[in-house]
Amino acid sequence: MEESEDVPRDFIKLKSEKLSVDEVSELVVSPYCGAVSLFIGEFNISYTSMAETEIKKICRDVRQKWPSVKHIAVHHRLGVVPITEASVIIAVSSPHRAESLEAVMYCINTLKASVPIWKKEIYEDEYSWKENKECFWANSEK
Amino acid sequence: QVSVLYFARSAELAGLRCETLSVPREITSLQLWEEIVKVHPRLALIRDQVVFAVRQEYVLLGDQLLVLQPGDEVAIIPPISGG
Repeated sequence: MEESEDVPRDFIKLKSEKLSVDEVSELVVSPYCGAVSLFIGEFNISYTSMAETEIKKICRDVRQKWPSVKHIAVHHRLGVVPITEASVIIAVSSPHRAESLEAVMYCINTLKASVPIWKKEIYEDEYSWKENKECFWANSEK
Repeated sequence: QVSVLYFARSAELAGLRCETLSVPREITSLQLWEEIVKVHPRLALIRDQVVFAVRQEYVLLGDQLLVLQPGDEVAIIPPISGG
């Protein structure tokens, strides 16, 4: 157990139980590394009245493009969202699978491009504002 | 007099989320931006990354002529990250 002790390793786990920040941070501690960065979750804010209007526009567009779509549900969480939890859930029903799959994809892609909601990613001791690549006015070349 | 709303990074740079500003009734979107930056110079840092939402419609910073009514909402919109 000599040199293998600090060979870089990837620790990947997909599980249904609640995640443990303690467990994850202990996995990466190393005598050679003074820095450990922890992503803890998100804080979501919105320009709420406009966000609702933009989501209504998306629903209207969906019904124009896929007239067989029956119901559409878009729920987006605001405020603190811990790392294990969803920020958004979108559901669409239609008589056949193809339309609802395409409609859901359209909803999430258009939401990411046009609905005024912002996520602040919270790390253990700092934060950063996320930027969607779908956002047409973001200067992502910086 | 319009209501200016600041979100995310723009709220951090301006130090507030909302205020009333007096601006000319007819003004281009770029001129409107410049009026706002006079009040909050640190906003210049994000000039290349923002759009406006005027009466909840997106407007790019540029030559577009806006006709503003008293009480209109003008929001500074940094790159969004919903979804």
